[in-house]
Amino acid sequence: MKKKIMLIAMVSALSITSLAGCSSESNKKEQTKIDVPTEVFGDTIKYDPNVEVNNGEKVTIELWEWGSDELFESLIAGYTAIHPNVTIKLVNNPWEDYWTKLPLALDGENGPALFNIHNSYHENLINYLAPLDIPIEDLQADFTGVDAHIIDGKVYYIDYGMMTGTVYYNKDMWEAAGLTEADIPKTWDEMREVAKKLTIKNGDQIVQAGLNFNGDFHQNYLLGLNYQLGENIFKEDGTTPNVNSDTMKQIMQMLVDFYEVDGVGSKDFGEKGADSFGQGQSAMVIQWGHFYNTLNTTWSDINFGVFEIPTFDGNPYAYNRYNGESTFGINKNAPKDQQAVAQDFVKYYLANDNVQVAFNLAMSTFPAKKSLANNEEILKNPSLRVLAEHIDRYIWPGPMPETVENSLKRAGEEVFYNGVDIDTAFDEAQATIEKDMKNSSFVSVENLYKYAK
Amino acid sequence: MKKKIYSISLNLVLILLGIITVYPFVWMLSSSFKQNKEIMALEQHLLPQAFIIKNYITMNERFDFMRFFGNSLFITIVVTILVVYTSTICGYVLSKYEFKGKNVLFGFVLSTMMIPWCVTIIPKYSMIQAFGWMDSYKALIIPAMFSGFGIFMMKQHISTLPNEILEAARSDGANEFYIFHKIVFPMARNGISSIAIFQFLWSWEDYLWPYLVINTKEKQLLSVGLKMFNGQYSTDYGALFAATTISIVPVLLIYLFFQKQFIAGIASSAVKG
Repeated sequence: MKKKIMLIAMVSALSITSLAGCSSESNKKEQTKIDVPTEVFGDTIKYDPNVEVNNGEKVTIELWEWGSDELFESLIAGYTAIHPNVTIKLVNNPWEDYWTKLPLALDGENGPALFNIHNSYHENLINYLAPLDIPIEDLQADFTGVDAHIIDGKVYYIDYGMMTGTVYYNKDMWEAAGLTEADIPKTWDEMREVAKKLTIKNGDQIVQAGLNFNGDFHQNYLLGLNYQLGENIFKEDGTTPNVNSDTMKQIMQMLVDFYEVDGVGSKDFGEKGADSFGQGQSAMVIQWGHFYNTLNTTWSDINFGVFEIPTFDGNPYAYNRYNGESTFGINKNAPKDQQAVAQDFVKYYLANDNVQVAFNLAMSTFPAKKSLANNEEILKNPSLRVLAEHIDRYIWPGPMPETVENSLKRAGEEVFYNGVDIDTAFDEAQATIEKDMKNSSFVSVENLYKYAK
Repeated sequence: MKKKIYSISLNLVLILLGIITVYPFVWMLSSSFKQNKEIMALEQHLLPQAFIIKNYITMNERFDFMRFFGNSLFITIVVTILVVYTSTICGYVLSKYEFKGKNVLFGFVLSTMMIPWCVTIIPKYSMIQAFGWMDSYKALIIPAMFSGFGIFMMKQHISTLPNEILEAARSDGANEFYIFHKIVFPMARNGISSIAIFQFLWSWEDYLWPYLVINTKEKQLLSVGLKMFNGQYSTDYGALFAATTISIVPVLLIYLFFQKQFIAGIASSAVKG
């Protein structure tokens, strides 16, 4: 009997592993022909493919990243086709632990010459970065948001794309509620009315939520809608948080009213609004660009549309907060020849429109490169198309310490789940953020907003 | 009658605990044949509503699964063999030899078990960097060659072996090398099985250290590959479950083959001081 069980176990093991093994053959990527450019390309930042790198001598560098290998492989293939003497070793990392491994590696002599950056880890990485070898004026001419990245007259990385929130709605539910394209709300009052129409109840029980912001109201509402009412997240000094302001409390009150007065959703209806939308339980959610990719991969059955975030009066100071997806960092401790290649690689990356489009589409971010604002491929993505008209009216506050988001999340949860009044909850959040930021070097860049008051 | 009721109750409790323990694995296996939307659906079913094997086929798109599997198997087997040998020989010396400072040495070995790994990982990383072993299997094998827990277990186990056998061998002219390899080693097989299973499992599932020291994709281990399914914004659960299902196969086989010796080894190490 025992032998039989073992035999069955081994046969099952072998069949499963061979099933996986079969696919390794099909996994071999097809070699696509790469067109090697011969002419100088780029807008203000220009890249000349005829200039040799490292005097044509062989050199190898590492590029560390998280995310899609294919995207980076195609970027590397394009560059190394121009410079066959350069070998770029791609090191893929899991997102979470990348931030443990990268600083350790950069602290030594053998860290990667090039690496992906996320601005939320700015303070951990900035001391390892070499400034870009590209004139700031050129960067400013081609990309938006560069000013916010200038540190003592130097730029270490910029944003290639801007990610922000838009409203995703379920088209089938929209139609079933008798709504048409003409009903797409422009203001929060209209949004409330639409949400009511989209809500379905069985007695007191919600069957379908009109709007669901569970789990991410702090990120998608509290830290963004304040700009619509003309108030920044930080006070004028750029370091003191402004989260217990009347404006923040007004937004929180609006969220409470959505659920408790209008009854268009419930704090207990789905742990996460985004999942509830994917599960076909909620008709509308506000989510950032990455949700577009999630809908297409995980929730492919949902027939969804996207519209721009509503405003209070149709004439906002800014529509919302955005966060930038950052360009590569260059390791200042890497050998000089490797740094030179890394600098050249970043220039190629910034000058190349196809690469910029590919990266922005992969992340569902709106291109920071000005010349791509009306790019056909970009505007095919509905979550980016709705941003196009007012993209200059979004604000980046800078790489905020995570205590800002965490404390506001806790404040909202205190209000929703523990019955704490809004004043007390937000005063506590203010005190916590002030305490946590005592040793932070963060200074808000909200004052660099194009239409800053 | 009372005994029968007691026996039935005990069995029912054990069956219940068994189901609680095994259910997540069954759910994972079943989910590896589901689409992501079904895995995350509000209404959950144990069996797939739409059975797919796509997760097994496409998981290799993320990484060369079989290569990672092979790498993990190689490292785990090498480390397990080394740890079994070093633990047995150290355990033998500490239990059967009398020498000055033996207890201090044993205390030192025990103390290595009491330091949390997170305290030692940075100095260990710096040492590996200084030795030039980064991105090499030396960084995975050499620091793992000695196990405080293994030495402790084997000392406890070997101390149960009668001294008379060893004395008889010595009287017959056997040297220490012969005694260890031909007498102690075979007689300690239950303890060795326990250590082997523990070490195999720990090495197989070790994630952070291999991730920190190995950069080259072709050298990477399976535990690191599994983490790649967790993206910045979303997780490919179907492929993750498919890969995890396969990754537990070696551990499962080891348990199936050695469970008898494993239980005997644990029991003998636990009762004799």
